[in-house]
Amino acid sequence: MQMQFHYVSRLLVTVPWIAISVACGPIAPDRPSEATLIYLAEDVPAGLDYDGPAAALPTSQTGMVNLMEPLIGYAYGDENEDGVALPDFETFAPRLSESWRYNEARRSWVFKLREGVFSCAGNELTADDVVYTFARGKSVSGAIPVGWFLASTAGVSGFDASVFEDEAARVIGDAVRRVDRYTVEIRVSGRNALFLPIMTTYGMLIFDSKETQKHATDDDPWAHDYVNNVTAPGFGPYCLERWAKNDMFVMRANENYYRGAPALKRVVIKRIPQSSNRFILVKSGEADMAERLTPREFSALADVDGARVAGVVGNETLFLHMNFKTPPFDNLKFREAIARALPTEKIIRNGYFGEARAWRGVTPSTYPGFVDALDEDYYDPDAARRLLAEAGFPEGEGLRGFQESLRLAYVAEKEATLGPIATMLQTALREIGVPVELDPIPLTQYGDRQLVKKDLPFALNDQEKPVVVDAGYALSLFFASPDAGGINNMVNVADPSVDAAALAAASLPAGEERAARIADGQRRLAEIVAWAPVVEYRTQWAVRDHVSGLTWHPDNAVRFADLEIAR
Amino acid sequence: MMGRFIIRRLAVGGIQLFVLIIAVFLLIRLLPADPVARFVGLNASPEAYAAAKSNLGLDQSIPKQLGDFLGVTGGDGLLQGSLGRSWVTGDAVAAEVARALPVTLELLTYSFLLACIIGVPLGVLGAVRPGGAADKGTLVFGLFAGSQPEFSWAIMFIFVFFVVLGIAPGPLGRLSPLTDPPTAITGFMTIDGLLAGRPGVTAEAVRYLSLPVLTQAFILSGPIIKMVRQNMAEALQADFVLYARAAGLPERQVALSALHAAFAPSMTLIGVLYGFMLGGAVLIESVFSLGGIGQYAIRSILAFDYPAIQGVVLIISAISLIVYLLIDILHAALDPRAAL
Repeated sequence: MQMQFHYVSRLLVTVPWIAISVACGPIAPDRPSEATLIYLAEDVPAGLDYDGPAAALPTSQTGMVNLMEPLIGYAYGDENEDGVALPDFETFAPRLSESWRYNEARRSWVFKLREGVFSCAGNELTADDVVYTFARGKSVSGAIPVGWFLASTAGVSGFDASVFEDEAARVIGDAVRRVDRYTVEIRVSGRNALFLPIMTTYGMLIFDSKETQKHATDDDPWAHDYVNNVTAPGFGPYCLERWAKNDMFVMRANENYYRGAPALKRVVIKRIPQSSNRFILVKSGEADMAERLTPREFSALADVDGARVAGVVGNETLFLHMNFKTPPFDNLKFREAIARALPTEKIIRNGYFGEARAWRGVTPSTYPGFVDALDEDYYDPDAARRLLAEAGFPEGEGLRGFQESLRLAYVAEKEATLGPIATMLQTALREIGVPVELDPIPLTQYGDRQLVKKDLPFALNDQEKPVVVDAGYALSLFFASPDAGGINNMVNVADPSVDAAALAAASLPAGEERAARIADGQRRLAEIVAWAPVVEYRTQWAVRDHVSGLTWHPDNAVRFADLEIAR
Repeated sequence: MMGRFIIRRLAVGGIQLFVLIIAVFLLIRLLPADPVARFVGLNASPEAYAAAKSNLGLDQSIPKQLGDFLGVTGGDGLLQGSLGRSWVTGDAVAAEVARALPVTLELLTYSFLLACIIGVPLGVLGAVRPGGAADKGTLVFGLFAGSQPEFSWAIMFIFVFFVVLGIAPGPLGRLSPLTDPPTAITGFMTIDGLLAGRPGVTAEAVRYLSLPVLTQAFILSGPIIKMVRQNMAEALQADFVLYARAAGLPERQVALSALHAAFAPSMTLIGVLYGFMLGGAVLIESVFSLGGIGQYAIRSILAFDYPAIQGVVLIISAISLIVYLLIDILHAALDPRAAL
């Protein structure tokens, strides 16, 4: 009763004040004096556990990489013309670990950790945190075993499929062990070239084990629920201040951050689902940065005073997917005819407003080991018509019987970007006689048919980004046959030369022999037209002029600690 | 008699809800995709895929999954008040719905209030003086409001009031991103601000809500005006009105009597519209970044997030049934023949 009276009295006093305030108050509150950045995104992190259900979502990864740290990273190299610092993929840089070495005799990597690194909870980083992180991955107790998968690919001892059958195999044992307070040893099956690149990825971020274990329960001994829904305890530059799923994600600078407290004291990631709204909010100055505008909106922002577009040709690509198991795509001449009819320059000009470049390979050209496997004048509609005839379909004759296969699928949620490009491709292919129909389908259905059923006959794909920076990894991931360990061989390539190259990539140490085998594999893939590459498009952000210090990383997540703001 | 009427309606509503739950549970499992692929992402091995499928419970038979959902197999389910956990966020569906639903209810409640404040008097005026200036004006307004889809008006209003005139906040949601929201008590930002003793937050929430409410009310007022005008016009032709006029009652009193008769069918249609808009406000929510139940439903459907879809359908259906029940009770109170 007293409480009700309290509320009623408040109501009576404040209603007139509110009426005046609504009528006369400022449209938006003033900016606080501390350096705060408002970042607009399609979504906010849905979960923070990289072994959790939201791990595959790019926005979730943005949360993880700003709250947690890896053992090592890449050194920053030069800045590009937009002022974005690019990583030097040939040089690993210390992060939580200050040095590392491979011990040939013990087949192990030994990491010496930095001293005096503190988490948001005030706990100091020790070897126990690294052991805990690997033990958690090996427990395969989360919704999705990402940590296990990456450690397995890196060749860490004991991270094999037995963990799914045998509970005893889920114990970390001496595969990862504490040598002393600041030294940890990770045993591996051999000197795998992928080990160090994998240690830089979001699936190898190190947990603050003390804080995480505080939230373990009998039902959830690895605290997946806490990490996924409350916060990811780590040693990163930011601490989570507030998180409303589907709405907002607010981080505050970790003043104990070992690389120095971030210049941006507060970062507000706000969900604005419509790209046009993100555009006008950056344009008007109500927000400082935005991601994932359409190419047209990015282009329009170039003329706006006070804002700019910053971007990088990183690892985002567009290609045509043609399924080797589905006629007429089982015919090499037919695949080549399609590939040669793709109007790359037109797509760059009209689909990406110039913010893309021709792609002539099957791995991102920025990755070490990329091979430029196609001629400059690969686009040749006359050659495409000739190849079509050689394939048995002169002027497209006989293709009416393949209507289902010639439905060009793409992700419906990306209609604003992919729709116009799909239409350009449809027009170009019809000009040589291939009767293509467009088939936008939901992302989940697309993913199911691509990753699980592998029965998509023909598709336009702009979402494959190998998380590990290595051409050999991309080769194994996308093109090795299942017998050779292929996982996401979406077009069902089965070629002994490619399988051999993938095997070499996975087993040989870094060096000339491995590089040569990977290069051979890429040339072979170009010969058999495994994918029809179209363009590498720029990963871009809309940025107000007072924001500087952007860096690019292969997960395409912004590192807010690198940014500075000058008002 | 009214008590029996309510009990009968509740019983029928309960059966409808149960049938709907089972139908939705089965129908979403007929969708043409396996949701696991989306969750495992690009780098999943067959073992990881199998582990994920098992974690989501999709390796179980359909009857077992249904039993788990209903809570009759030992774990927490519907009978224990649990809607399960979202496959996208891992959070409890009930908690997510509890966050999203008030956003939509707040938008719709204020929009309907505003639409009724504008629409009912205009509809009455149009019927009382057919062919008059008010009648012609409301006809043009009704046609104008219904001439374009709501998102189109929303974008136009943002352009005019935010971009050009600069007198409304941008489409940033319910509050500025720089403002800490008050603790959720009712979920209505405008009320929670008051309850927390932060009238500034309420004022800000009113400002941020003004454009979406204006847009939604603009769209809703068209059909409300038409409904009220038509029902009022019919009531004015009724015998009791003829008798009232013959008896020499003042025109104002005659109009009030006619409005009483026109009110019941109008309320029914407004109630139906409210129930429909619970899921149908998604475009306004999306354009103004409001994060309501409509957007939550769309996100869940696109992600094939079965527990979230089931939860949203259940909650929206339950609210619609309650709204319809309230309308029926109101209708029965205004016209006791309806309760027979």
